[in-house]
Amino acid sequence: MIKREFKVNYKSFIIWTLVLIIMFLVVFLIYPFIITDDTVKNLDEMMKVFPPELLKAFNMDISSINSAYGWLKTEGFMFVLLIVGFYSSILGNNVLLKEESDKTIEYLISLPIKRNKILTNKIIVSITYIVLMVLAIGIFNYIALLFSGDFNQKQYILLSITPILIAFPMFSLNLFISSFLHKTKKTIGISLGLVFFFYLLSVLSELSSKIEFIKYFSIYTLSDTRNVITNININPINILISIGISIFFIILTYVNYNKKELL
Amino acid sequence: MNEIILEIKHLKKYYGKTVGVEDISLKLNKGDIYGFIGPNGAGKSTTIRCIIGLINITNGDIFFNGKKIDKDDTSIKEKIGYLPSEINLYEDLTIKELFDYHALFYKKDLSKRRKELSKLLKIDESKRIDDLSLGNLKKVGIVLSLMHEPELLILDEPTSGLDPIMQSVFHNILLEEQKKGTTILYSSHVLSEVSSLCNKIGFIKNGIIIKEDTIENINKNDYNYLTISSSDIEKIKKELNLTIKEENNNTAKFISDIEINTLLKILSKYNIEKLLIENISLEDLFEEYYK
Repeated sequence: MIKREFKVNYKSFIIWTLVLIIMFLVVFLIYPFIITDDTVKNLDEMMKVFPPELLKAFNMDISSINSAYGWLKTEGFMFVLLIVGFYSSILGNNVLLKEESDKTIEYLISLPIKRNKILTNKIIVSITYIVLMVLAIGIFNYIALLFSGDFNQKQYILLSITPILIAFPMFSLNLFISSFLHKTKKTIGISLGLVFFFYLLSVLSELSSKIEFIKYFSIYTLSDTRNVITNININPINILISIGISIFFIILTYVNYNKKELL
Repeated sequence: MNEIILEIKHLKKYYGKTVGVEDISLKLNKGDIYGFIGPNGAGKSTTIRCIIGLINITNGDIFFNGKKIDKDDTSIKEKIGYLPSEINLYEDLTIKELFDYHALFYKKDLSKRRKELSKLLKIDESKRIDDLSLGNLKKVGIVLSLMHEPELLILDEPTSGLDPIMQSVFHNILLEEQKKGTTILYSSHVLSEVSSLCNKIGFIKNGIIIKEDTIENINKNDYNYLTISSSDIEKIKKELNLTIKEENNNTAKFISDIEINTLLKILSKYNIEKLLIENISLEDLFEEYYK
């Protein structure tokens, strides 16, 4: 069964990974041509116009986009976090629900297989694809950076791991939500909505110290790329919270899925 | 003593406040082909979905070989074959790939029975599932439900979409299965196939089995329309306790399954003005129950 799960989810993994890789390929190819002494000067001037809070929200106060690595650390990782978030959310919502939406669940349940095993297989496949996606993008960018000039290897490796900190909780939260639903029709809205919602909370929390507390309501706070860039480490508490949230929602999904009416 | 393969005791299933099944109790002995008859929405599929474990039971118990069915008990599922009324299979696979996938879930070699069934039903295993017509999809479903040689076969509207020749082939397969000792729960509203195949029939209406009998009894024509005119009609109604089809002053038309001699003995106690006994066919009986 697990082999079939890999096959079923293979296409979307390839598409989402290629979207990111092609985007980065284009950036790495054109960046050397657009970054000249003049553009660096203009960019620096432009940055001075932006409010410091806004620059902070996108890590542009601690990293300049006047190099490919600089861009990667700011806007580049924003895209990685968003797209890995979308992929994980959509996967979480679809991986179980597709059987119900396509009505193949009636056939699957009639086979001698436990519900827990069905769920476990789907979780294993999803987690594998999420890790593979993060790895593929990390390795591609690493190779591209080797050709693009100096970069801090340790900082980069830690940065490229951070999407996993948000991907697993996003996946497990969406998986849990999907265990209450019966059709995949509305789930794309839920998946994208949650990613935007959490990302927005995380960005807004950087804009003013008065609303900084809202970061505690966002899964995206766990990526904490700012800390990785400045201190070159990942806060172990974030790792623990990420694992904790993931396990919490996965356990709840097991409980709920075993009780679920598969209509 | 007959070996009971499937036993349902006071099954109740509610979807929120909506009734799916109110109170179903039935027993299937080894080798029975039990015709589960009822109109759409009567509760046939809900009962079957409870047996398969797709939905949770509100109340009651289901036993297989004397063991209470747990929806996650794979040792029981290995012995059950299921053909749903509406078949939905993995459309990205060919029939061969689907049969191979199916075989992975069972601990025995299914290749021999798979070949026999594919040959009988004229299945081309190289075709993709999404290219199949409803009839061909049904044939694939039949093989999937039978290839692991189940002890209990649950069929929900199995012949819809099958052409008459394939229906006949399928019925022969079922009769062969019965000879081997397979027990079959056959849900349908095609009365002709139920009367020719099944040895027991249960009529289900609004989630309740309203009548259960052997096909032998039904064919013996113990079922009659019984029209009685009598000044004692109220007492007769009370004593006979039968379904009343029509009523007018001192006249009542019943659906009776009481043996004639017994009936006459009962009626001899009363002042009977008029008595009319007419045969009821299975079709008439079905219509009567579901009016």
